[in-house]
Amino acid sequence: MSISRREFIKRGALTAGALTILSGTTVKGLNKKNFPKGWKGRQRVKEIPSICEMCFWRCGILGNVDKHGKLLKIDGNPNHPLTEGRLCARGNAGHKLAYDPDRLKYPLMRVGKRGEGKFKRVSWDEALDFMAEKLKKIKAEYGAEAVGFFPHGIQARFFEHLMKGFGTPNIVEPAFAQCRGSRDVGYKLTFGNSVGSPEPLDFENTDLMVFIGTHIGENVFTGQNLQFANAIERGAKLIVVDPRFSVAAAKADYWLPIKPGTDTALLLAWMHVLIYENRYDKEYIRKYAIGFDQLKKHVKDFTPEWASKITGLPASLILDTAREMGKYYPKVGIHPGRHVAWYGNDSQRARAMAILTALLGSYGRPGGIYLSSKIPAPKYPSGKNPKPGPRADGAGTVYPFGSRGLGITNGLIDATYDEDPYPIKAWIVYSQNVLQSIPDPWKTKEAIDKLDLFVVVDIMPMEQYLYADLVLPEATYLERYDDLYTVKNAKKPFAAIRQPIIDPLYEAKPGWWIAKETAKRLGLEEHFQWETIEEYLDYRLSGLGKTLQQVQAKGIVVYDKGTPYYDFSKPIHFKTRSGKIELYSQTLKDYGFDPMPVYEPVEEVPKGYFRLTYGRSPVHSFARSQNNEILHGYMPENELWINSTVANQLGLSDGEYVRLENQDGILSNNIRLKVTPGIHPEAVFMVHGFDQKSPALRLAYKHGASDNYLMSRVNIDPLSGGTGMRVNFVRIIKNGQPVMVSGAESIVPKFKKNTKTRTPKKRIVVPQAATEAGESEEGC
Amino acid sequence: MARYAMVIDLRKCVGCDACTVACRTEWDVPIGHARTWVEQSVTVGEFPNVSGTNWVAQCNHCDEPSCIEPCPTGATFQLKNGIVKVDTDLCIGCGYCVEACPYDARYINPLTNKVDKCDFCEARLEEGLQPACVTTCTGDAKFFGDLEDPNSEVYKKVYEEGAWRNENDNAAIGPNVYYLGTPEQLEIVKEKFGPREPRLLPPAQAWKNILKPVVLTAIGATFAGQAVAFFNQLRKGEEPIDD
Ligand code: SF4
Repeated sequence: MSISRREFIKRGALTAGALTILSGTTVKGLNKKNFPKGWKGRQRVKEIPSICEMCFWRCGILGNVDKHGKLLKIDGNPNHPLTEGRLCARGNAGHKLAYDPDRLKYPLMRVGKRGEGKFKRVSWDEALDFMAEKLKKIKAEYGAEAVGFFPHGIQARFFEHLMKGFGTPNIVEPAFAQCRGSRDVGYKLTFGNSVGSPEPLDFENTDLMVFIGTHIGENVFTGQNLQFANAIERGAKLIVVDPRFSVAAAKADYWLPIKPGTDTALLLAWMHVLIYENRYDKEYIRKYAIGFDQLKKHVKDFTPEWASKITGLPASLILDTAREMGKYYPKVGIHPGRHVAWYGNDSQRARAMAILTALLGSYGRPGGIYLSSKIPAPKYPSGKNPKPGPRADGAGTVYPFGSRGLGITNGLIDATYDEDPYPIKAWIVYSQNVLQSIPDPWKTKEAIDKLDLFVVVDIMPMEQYLYADLVLPEATYLERYDDLYTVKNAKKPFAAIRQPIIDPLYEAKPGWWIAKETAKRLGLEEHFQWETIEEYLDYRLSGLGKTLQQVQAKGIVVYDKGTPYYDFSKPIHFKTRSGKIELYSQTLKDYGFDPMPVYEPVEEVPKGYFRLTYGRSPVHSFARSQNNEILHGYMPENELWINSTVANQLGLSDGEYVRLENQDGILSNNIRLKVTPGIHPEAVFMVHGFDQKSPALRLAYKHGASDNYLMSRVNIDPLSGGTGMRVNFVRIIKNGQPVMVSGAESIVPKFKKNTKTRTPKKRIVVPQAATEAGESEEGC
Repeated sequence: MARYAMVIDLRKCVGCDACTVACRTEWDVPIGHARTWVEQSVTVGEFPNVSGTNWVAQCNHCDEPSCIEPCPTGATFQLKNGIVKVDTDLCIGCGYCVEACPYDARYINPLTNKVDKCDFCEARLEEGLQPACVTTCTGDAKFFGDLEDPNSEVYKKVYEEGAWRNENDNAAIGPNVYYLGTPEQLEIVKEKFGPREPRLLPPAQAWKNILKPVVLTAIGATFAGQAVAFFNQLRKGEEPIDD
């Protein structure tokens, strides 16, 4: 683009002449001083760069502050390499988080029963002393591993560091088991690397994008949106597989409205066409992959006709789309997906996507998936962590490929609930929302009941706070320094700083302070040897040849040493067991799993019911932005997408309110129907994160319906431990009466019989060495 | 001289509302009202044969604005560069322009009781900045510039790529927000988002010539309060008080 997006004309380019009046009235001059009135730009005295945290993508922001230190507005930081000065709706509404009157303001100690939400205000000293005493006691009695830590995002890193120093192995994030864990497992088994975040898709050079459930535009990362839209403008083609006519589907050359749950069949048929029509990258496969012959044999019968019967898609559409891939390889960008915890067979589906990527030769190649780089940002010297005992969540044991960097949230909840393999006595939940982001919240509440200590560190009084023994108010991202944010998945990798734009409101404190103060009380000062956070950041930035002060003006340091593609003139070593791309996985075979993905049918939708699917909206983040005044204004409640033909048959009309009842008889709050031709008749869809159950969220309380509270069952992915969540069925209740096709009846009695779904199918215990501990990475 | 215009590329727009939130915070637009608005996933057809688009709209800064004539106080006017503006000192919130705009691009701000709408972020332009919505657009789908400058992006998109004006039989007043889109997208836009007929409220028609000088005199004589009361009456459809 020839002109900068931000600056388009120079100051003063609007001449006096331009301000004269062209037509319409008899008004003589213009009173320029009241016109335009009160524009914020004129009150701005400072523009402070930092990074957003309305979601975990951390786009570059500029906080516009007035002379009283008030944040007027947030703009995008044009220096950010991926977002180029843009921000999504949530990023633009970020100031309303800081100024939300419902924020947690002071440390609180519970005085009522758990769940009642009765607290007394305490000082930080009292709060931290209390927490430290309890933690010490639990450690003495049960060991450090009896403390579970649930962090999210870079804001929790200091506390995570503390927890490792404390000695617990039980650190778990939903980013793995509720989100992209199975994808990481599938790609790592195939290429030796998980794809990481943001997905390093080379949309700049791609000729064909393939999305399977990915709904860019509704699930927003500003940078990826931009790359996607620019690819469309460049004329790149797009294939979208989604039971819902998503925003991306509406832009697609091919929309494949697949029967939910049958994606692996489609992927196998695509492989069949590519292989049997000789449309794959033969040289790439010959040189870099193993197991091609087995794969060829394996997919022999998986013809488009076979897949057509399963997926409900025309065989010709399956064939045509496969041929498109065959035409454009290697410049095919298959999006590995993000939230992929769908059916419990998810790692194998991810494997199928990775294998397809390999057949097209697009891993490590322009137009496909590029490679991530390194950023030299040294860790601050710290005391040595004690050797942690065995994990309780099953990562690396019960679930052999579960991440020991991110852990398995549901595994730890199960362990707490069952007191197996050992009792868990404390949870510290830090920036997570355990009741709205992890399925089966009833079980989570029962697990909380078993704890001696439940601490919540948060910004907003989410439902979980009602159960907490101690609530610690964290400063918002606009009020604090955080650890350095390094992005390796960028063509030019970079580091970005978060720095305070305004002073913390009330008694909220930054995470680094909370961690350092707690460390003192636990006798773990050796893990926090820096005096000030500035000193800490200086140290980390020194690897990039910078000081904090030098970075503060722009907020970003670009490290221009990316090597995004493989150099095929040299030998290439993949970090798999064989050193090659593994189309056939001996590792999986050894653990008793299918070495190549197979299609396993999912449970059929019972008559009169719908499969509950869910996704994201561009104006909300997870279940955490619903109380933001602006974002609430845009979307105060979610809607239920239902197929228009089905709705007509059932006599349901657009805009009316219904409730949903799931297979276990659980009833949702009211939700408004969105009757649309853009969804598969078997499924209904809602945006995640609504029906907040904390009355302290005065805007969001009881608005819309909660998908999470309808997920009373999950199918666990035996490889990763991820929770397949699209296995819940709902029927529609209108005015207290079920609305069903004739002859259909409630399935609650049938489902009652088998209530436990959390037990994994295969309890395989393998040595810890089976998986590497990954570094804990960005959120979901 | 410049002629400002915007081009919105619906092929790139993902309907994410970044633009509308940026506009809202830039101009303190109250919730429930908008200077620019988005509809995401407007879908037509029958499963699985459907097509869809997102939709973005705002004041079009038309060549022949229908909102200027009905304004009794002259608060609405147009700059030579094409920007249609509201002088809030003169606006009495009568709402005639709101009715007259076939794109429903104007609203009465309940906090100020004045009419408000998009002004292409004129204040930002003066600072050398792009309009807030353009700067933040996550799909790089909004383009702003001078139609008289053959090197501008908007010039190219309008005159070379054939960006389209949202006009129909109801209103063809030369909107200067242009659209690029696939034929299917533009079909949906024509069907669902074409302009309505400008509504000239009967009192406005009848009274405008008489009232204009009266009000201007009133304002000039600092009887603005009375004038506002007067027009509030009028807006409610009551007989104006004969002073
Ligand atoms: S995608 Fe939006 S909310 Fe997330 S970091 Fe970027 S601007 Fe903030």
